[in-house]
Amino acid sequence: MTTTMTRPVGTAGPMSPDASFSAIPFSRLLRVEWGKATDTRASRWLLAAVAASTVGLMLAPILSPSSIEQSYTSYLGFAAVGLSILLPVVAILTLTSEWSQRTNLTTFTQEPRRMRVVISKIVVSLILGVGAAVFGALVTAAGLGVAAASGRTLDADLGAGLLVAFVAYVLLNIMTGVALGALVHNSAAAIVASFVLPIGFALLGQASQLVANWLDYSTAFTWLLNGQWSGHTAQILVAVALWVAAPLAIGLVRTVRREIN
Amino acid sequence: MITTTALTKSYGNAPVVRDVSLHCEPGTITGFLGPNGAGKSTTMRMLVGLARPDHGTSLIAGHPFVELPNPPRVVGTLLDPSAMHAGRTGRATLTIAARMAGVSTDRVEELLDRVGLADAADRRVGGYSLGMRQRLGIAQTLVGDPQVLILDEPANGLDPEGIAWMRRLLRDFADRGGTVLLSSHLLHEVQATADHLVVISHGAVVASGPMDELLASSSLLVRTPDPDALAAALRAARVEYVAGPDRTFVVDVVGGAVTTETVARIAFEKQVLLTELRHSDSGGLEQLFFSLTAADAAPTQEAAA
Repeated sequence: MTTTMTRPVGTAGPMSPDASFSAIPFSRLLRVEWGKATDTRASRWLLAAVAASTVGLMLAPILSPSSIEQSYTSYLGFAAVGLSILLPVVAILTLTSEWSQRTNLTTFTQEPRRMRVVISKIVVSLILGVGAAVFGALVTAAGLGVAAASGRTLDADLGAGLLVAFVAYVLLNIMTGVALGALVHNSAAAIVASFVLPIGFALLGQASQLVANWLDYSTAFTWLLNGQWSGHTAQILVAVALWVAAPLAIGLVRTVRREIN
Repeated sequence: MITTTALTKSYGNAPVVRDVSLHCEPGTITGFLGPNGAGKSTTMRMLVGLARPDHGTSLIAGHPFVELPNPPRVVGTLLDPSAMHAGRTGRATLTIAARMAGVSTDRVEELLDRVGLADAADRRVGGYSLGMRQRLGIAQTLVGDPQVLILDEPANGLDPEGIAWMRRLLRDFADRGGTVLLSSHLLHEVQATADHLVVISHGAVVASGPMDELLASSSLLVRTPDPDALAAALRAARVEYVAGPDRTFVVDVVGGAVTTETVARIAFEKQVLLTELRHSDSGGLEQLFFSLTAADAAPTQEAAA
């Protein structure tokens, strides 16, 4: 095979053989991944469902003033739980959909440094998480406004520490979804796991105090949300290591190594 | 330019690709031909970093693919048109590719038009036919104005008009200095599209070279109403021949020393009328393809006989 190109010396061809285009900047990856996470009908419905479940749960303390504590933290807690039902699913789909739809056959030929792609997906998930936390705070404020307008007295017990804990709680829930998605690479399996595992560990936790205290992350994250660090710091850190750091680390290695078919 | 040296890969104990060396030059279209399961797709996936070779190297435009800073600006890859997000429109799919490559999104409209999807651009890809996905995939490969195209079975799902369109597009791409590597299990497709050929069977390259060299038949077929005069003329010119049925002669080309022009000139000088003069039917690529790829089946038949 010896076909040679004949072209006058010193003239550039219509296609330069120079491969020295600058690398794809991370900001561009981020923008593209943000688009992918939010541009499909499914993702928009899911985000709408996150919003709806948050607003829906906020109705509980408003409608049941006698049975539910009427305080700022109590209301914020409902927003946190409302956000955390489906936000991990948003993160899971952000991480898994390219495996399920097989689009990473294209994505990883556009950016073969797969770690950059995954990190941009994680950053997108965290941005969505921060946005969700802000939304949750606004819904809480609205809920408190409605409650105040109805003439209730509300305990204004919310400090900066608990607001930070709220944001951390939302982001950690997002990160459990991120870690699961990075590890499992399959949308359906990861979503099922994200619902079954907490229930499973909660049930085991009823049988074993050890499981309840150390392995059930919903308990540990609730301590975090309520600012109950004292006596639970180690347990919260173990939950983060076990449910976020470890699966994420294994998942990143798996993502970089896996062959794409 | 695509260069691989001794690419080798096994899955478990099964060798899938064995010592595959390719060399695709700018300005050429190389057809990568082999039956299904011969190792074409695995080789292509190794070229673009989606699969890791056990041994061997591959370079695109002089660099390992995974070291290209912005691959879409250098090489357009289409390995599977069904691997697209069903929920995204054609335009959205192409816009993502344009953003990734860092080119203006004006190029999206231009390419949608060029691949004939302008009217279907706002439909979701899930509703596209395979042919439409191939067109969208081709548009995706072209978005970064690359110099190399790597296409796995690009003719799949295209109608005859679509296939003709794609051939023109690839020919034009190569004529402007681009390098094309396309795979196919369809002989006629490769014959009509490519100018260079690599035939792969059971993971190993069994033939490679310029298409016309590989296809050159070893004999000419000559027909005349006056066989005696032609026989005398050929003998006088010391050209080897075998007389065939129906006043035909088969003339050996002796490795290219004897051409149709040689025979025409001999006949012209002796004023012998010829009614047919051509390379004898060798079955073209088909015969080559089957003789090469069926080689492993032949011994069994012989053993059975």
